[in-house]
Amino acid sequence: MSPRIELRGVSKSFGSLDALAPVSLEVGEGETITLLGPSGCGKTTLLRLIAGLESPSSGEIVVNGTSAQEARRHKQIGFIPQSPALLPWRSVEANARLLLDINRKNSPTTPSAAVGELLDEVGLGEFRDAYPHELSGGMQQRVGLVRAFALDAPILLMDEPFAALDEMTRTDMRHLLGRLCEPLGTTVVFVTHSIPEATFLSDRVAVMSPRPGAVSAMITIDLAHPRLPDIEDTEDFFHVTTTLRAALSAGMNR
Amino acid sequence: MSPSTRRIVAPIVGIVSFGLLWEALVRVFDIRRFVLLAPSKIIAELADAPDYYWSNALVTGRHMVTGLAISLLLAVVVGSLMASSRFVEEATQPVLVLILVTPWVAYITSVVLWLDGGEPTILFMVAFTSFPVFTFGVVGGMKSADPAARELLASVDARRWEVFWRLRLPSAGPSIFTTARFAMGLGLAAAYFSEGSAFVTEGLGYIGQRAAAFNNAEALWATIVSSALLGIVGLFVISALERLVLRWHASQRT
Repeated sequence: MSPRIELRGVSKSFGSLDALAPVSLEVGEGETITLLGPSGCGKTTLLRLIAGLESPSSGEIVVNGTSAQEARRHKQIGFIPQSPALLPWRSVEANARLLLDINRKNSPTTPSAAVGELLDEVGLGEFRDAYPHELSGGMQQRVGLVRAFALDAPILLMDEPFAALDEMTRTDMRHLLGRLCEPLGTTVVFVTHSIPEATFLSDRVAVMSPRPGAVSAMITIDLAHPRLPDIEDTEDFFHVTTTLRAALSAGMNR
Repeated sequence: MSPSTRRIVAPIVGIVSFGLLWEALVRVFDIRRFVLLAPSKIIAELADAPDYYWSNALVTGRHMVTGLAISLLLAVVVGSLMASSRFVEEATQPVLVLILVTPWVAYITSVVLWLDGGEPTILFMVAFTSFPVFTFGVVGGMKSADPAARELLASVDARRWEVFWRLRLPSAGPSIFTTARFAMGLGLAAAYFSEGSAFVTEGLGYIGQRAAAFNNAEALWATIVSSALLGIVGLFVISALERLVLRWHASQRT
């Protein structure tokens, strides 16, 4: 099976600053890969390159069989930014529909799930007509998830979507995200600095180290699917988090 | 007193006290009628020919609203160009400042000569004097558009006009309404004064100018009060529109 996302020797510098040393990476169809690392390790830059929001300084990126730019143009990518970025003048439902309303000719003609159903699924069914300021932070980010899922894109890119949430909400959100992603077979690239998030959601974790950003280790997460919340209390889960922590500090002390 | 009663009673008390003080000052110090006319006499004059003042106030109101609408339209065009290009912004800013600081009373004669007086002169003056204020409001508002939302729109390859229509223009709403209050003040003054200089035969400014020439203090002061009332009505309309259009904005929540 050919990979959905393929990076060959991709690097990025901003002026004289090397943000990202050459990275090669393949993400298979339906695979969830997490870019895990401290701030400044280039994980967001890497994600933005895949999203076609930046151009690489060198190397080649293939997304869904074409260039990242082309994939972006055809709305093949569901992007979830760090802040929910909801438009305050649009209702919850209108916000959830936003990406469908933009560049409309490339929207899916028969999406697998309607916006309303997705809102029900994330527990926002009763808040369709509410405005963003009436929602809690966790609820706002759930709208952000629905907005991306509504695109029905084969690829989802998430940039630390839960970073601004409190610990408990964060835990709920990763369980929700796991539940949404599992049945879809979507290819996901997830950026985080949270080890439990990386463990719970990923098939593989690319551990990144800073200055310049690079993938210092690639770790396969051998936890069974589907993953349910109580997996976090098992010894296996704990094991993986320990491995990741060790890989992170090894990368830092390189 | 409950807050809602207070909100109605307090302004009335303020205005009535101001009027009484004014009346007392005029009577006690026997002030010349051209310097300050007693409110009782102004009210008598307005009551004497209500249709006359009403129809002329409508003319001035029409001049003001039309001029401001032209100004706002141009400000949205110029402001969007400025918000999307640093160069255009830096090139345009000094010109706007120049228009803003140059006393328009000084060059109105030239405008009258150029446009041959009449309504075009009045509309030009209203639009020209309020244009910089509106433009600064549009630019500031558009630049305040959430960067995360801009990136989100870019992730589905939003066209320029989509970003403008769906994100930048609504983001500018709050600051447009704020600047509209200042623009209206400028526009009303320009309308009044231009009506007195542009060889027209209607409008509060025309009556006021003629009253001054014919030593008719009553008529002069009646136009002063009428234009003040016109300004108050304008502010009410702006506030009402703002409440309607910006329901989503933090400033409209109490």
